[in-house]
Amino acid sequence: MYQYDEYDQKIVEERARQFRGQVQRRVDGEVTENEFKPLRLQNGLYMQLHAYMLRVAIPYGVLSSKQIRMLAHIARRYDRGYGHITTRQNIQYNWPSLEDVPSILDDLASVQMHAIQTSGNCIRNITSDPFAGVAPDELEDPRPYCELLRQWSTFHPEFAFLPRKFKIAVTGTPGHDRAAIRFHDIGVRIVENADGAPGRDGAKTRRGFEVWVGGGMGRTPFIGVVVRPFVEYEDLLAYLESILRVYNLHGRRDNKFKARIKILVSELGAEAFTRLVEEDFERSRNPDLKLERTELERVAVGFAPPPYEPVAIARGDGKTLAERSANDEAFARWLKTNVLSHKIDGYRIVVLSLKKQGIPPGDVSDTQLDRMADLADRYSFGEVRTMHTQNMVLPDVREAHLSEIYDELVALDMATPNFRLLTDIIACPGLDYCALANARSIPLSLELSRRFEDLDYQEDIGPCSIKISGCINACGHHHVGNIGILGINKNGEEVYQLMLGGHDSDSASLGRILGPALPENQVADAVEKVLAHYLKFRTDSEETFLDCYRRLGPEPFKQAAYGA
Amino acid sequence: MATPKGTHFVITANILGSGAPAYRRQDGSWSTNLQDAHPAADEAERDRMLADAASEEADIADPYAFPVRLDGPTIDPLSAREEIRAKGPTVPYRRPDAAQGAH
Amino acid sequence: MKVVVKDKRVVEDAWHVVKDDEAAGAHTIVSLARWNDHREELLAGGTPIGMVLRSNESPDDVRDRDRLALIAVDFPAFTDGRGYSTARMLRSRLHYKGEIRAIGDVMRDEMFLMSRCGIDSFAVKPGKDIDKALSAFDDFSVTYQAAADDERPLFRRVHR
Repeated sequence: MYQYDEYDQKIVEERARQFRGQVQRRVDGEVTENEFKPLRLQNGLYMQLHAYMLRVAIPYGVLSSKQIRMLAHIARRYDRGYGHITTRQNIQYNWPSLEDVPSILDDLASVQMHAIQTSGNCIRNITSDPFAGVAPDELEDPRPYCELLRQWSTFHPEFAFLPRKFKIAVTGTPGHDRAAIRFHDIGVRIVENADGAPGRDGAKTRRGFEVWVGGGMGRTPFIGVVVRPFVEYEDLLAYLESILRVYNLHGRRDNKFKARIKILVSELGAEAFTRLVEEDFERSRNPDLKLERTELERVAVGFAPPPYEPVAIARGDGKTLAERSANDEAFARWLKTNVLSHKIDGYRIVVLSLKKQGIPPGDVSDTQLDRMADLADRYSFGEVRTMHTQNMVLPDVREAHLSEIYDELVALDMATPNFRLLTDIIACPGLDYCALANARSIPLSLELSRRFEDLDYQEDIGPCSIKISGCINACGHHHVGNIGILGINKNGEEVYQLMLGGHDSDSASLGRILGPALPENQVADAVEKVLAHYLKFRTDSEETFLDCYRRLGPEPFKQAAYGA
Repeated sequence: MATPKGTHFVITANILGSGAPAYRRQDGSWSTNLQDAHPAADEAERDRMLADAASEEADIADPYAFPVRLDGPTIDPLSAREEIRAKGPTVPYRRPDAAQGAH
Repeated sequence: MKVVVKDKRVVEDAWHVVKDDEAAGAHTIVSLARWNDHREELLAGGTPIGMVLRSNESPDDVRDRDRLALIAVDFPAFTDGRGYSTARMLRSRLHYKGEIRAIGDVMRDEMFLMSRCGIDSFAVKPGKDIDKALSAFDDFSVTYQAAADDERPLFRRVHR
């Protein structure tokens, strides 16, 4: 992964020092809470229901074992022994004290980490494909571009006080978007253009970026639009800067709920918006902003492939794997769901499930983090990833090691064989923690996890995402769940709105509300009836829930859920 | 079932250091226990207490008032949000008994 | 006289904003509309004239920009970030050489960012310690991206 040089290091250290000064000024009364709030938000520090909440950045979801050990240490020393993986690949701590936060930032800086711009009306964490660099269907590793964008966006002086938050995601797999770029303020897709103009080094195709703008969830969900189908790779920073400038100048500032770029694109129309961006891009033709090859290569060095073993060694004799799969049903199941193919022969991608029944989805303990760091060092070249689906990943595991890793993960409660299945639920913290929430989401996720725990049943259903949000801000991504659930407050009661048919990847779709909101104790039944209808009327076991819903439409599912 | 109506108001804020919810007592001091709060009997008293709280930025942040119902001596926070704020998360987490900043 | 931060020092100067119906003379800062419509008259006195750009006004709309000794960029609330783009466009794109002053809700914690956008003087808002505000310029010794103070990204300024 990318290694900080002296400049990167200085920036995070100076930021930690700056925040220490800001905290002191708040405590001394030199700044008011209103003046302090945007400053602490720009350091990822929220005030929640029970305590402060600190959101630590995990840039594009990549972590080293050293960093994971520090995250464990922070959980242990300054918090209550756990952290929470978010739907933007970050980690949150729910119980830090204000005066400890500068020390937490110092500790993070010592391992090349920070909490910069993880909140506030600024450019947030650049997120990406959790399988970047190792997925077999990838065109080009997006991580070097993510790192370049991270640096470009960090303390960008022009865009520190945008109308609202700004989220960017990058994918390097044009055919299979695992970064949900269509639901970000800016989504970037690495593409190849065979239009005749030669690429770098005389290649027959050119690599560049397809740029999407205006996607987002929340109160008014939108699927983004393509603002430019091909941006030359060296224009990436300059082009994005023009988009940000247009947003900064023209985004609405009169109404917090109409301030995202998606509203601007919608109100101006995609064409008019694009024209403004292109005009600004034309006018700001700064050759210095062009991405330099040497800089890209400098950054890309950190993401060079690790020293993979030849397939004979990576695979071993294959006997252990074959034998155990044949005789150990639990192991075979885990292999099928949580272990994915890798672009290097003999290696696999291993998903570490944070969805064990009875634990809030995405929560990870200090012990788990520490042991995960050991596993990473032993089995995955010292690297781990976070997923926006609130799981984690060991990206480079030899097939020969799968059996022993499985036993370790079982002991750590990270081997629940439900990746992409029904109980791989995504839930925001909800009213149990979050000051913005209207309803609780975690108890419902635990109940659904209990109700559908039968692994045979889950396997029969196949891939089906349940996503739960405790308020309209949609941090649980309920708009793009195959089954989305939104908790709302109706006359003091927590009720839940079901929606079906959401999808956050290439054939993106927004979920549609199924019917009237339901009290909590009726949700699991309704979901079960919806699933029963799917099982009964799917064409065959290959037809996914999503495809079946798209084929049949909402009516029969509504009947099933609410009917007599 | 709709929320029962409030009979009084409680002034609350977050303690600046810990971020913990705090409730204003009659003497103007802050307690982390909702039941120690002084229930304001009407909007005038509520507004007066809130104005006092707003000037105490050294100790607390974001004061506001919320309706409660007095059930004998017991303060019923009425809303799920204030109940959770007063009692803590309703879901399991790792060290619920950990004191703030415990090492 | 007003106390402001200019060129990283605390100084006194006479610049002040005047309403459209007030007399405009030396060191007055007038509105965009007034400048555009009456700049010959305003300049006839031979004294330095300034103009303010409100957050919904564009530097592209300023006529005879270079005849202004000072352009003030207004920050009606410090959370209104349009002034940063306005200042940067003035400095980098339009090559304005005069003084760019931040007025309005201006405080220490935003001054480093403002200076990177080409703002060189700051009317720090009343009630804030203006001498302490000078430390703002030391907030960061390294910056990543191109801005008005240096239009080269870090990777073009140093060898990495």
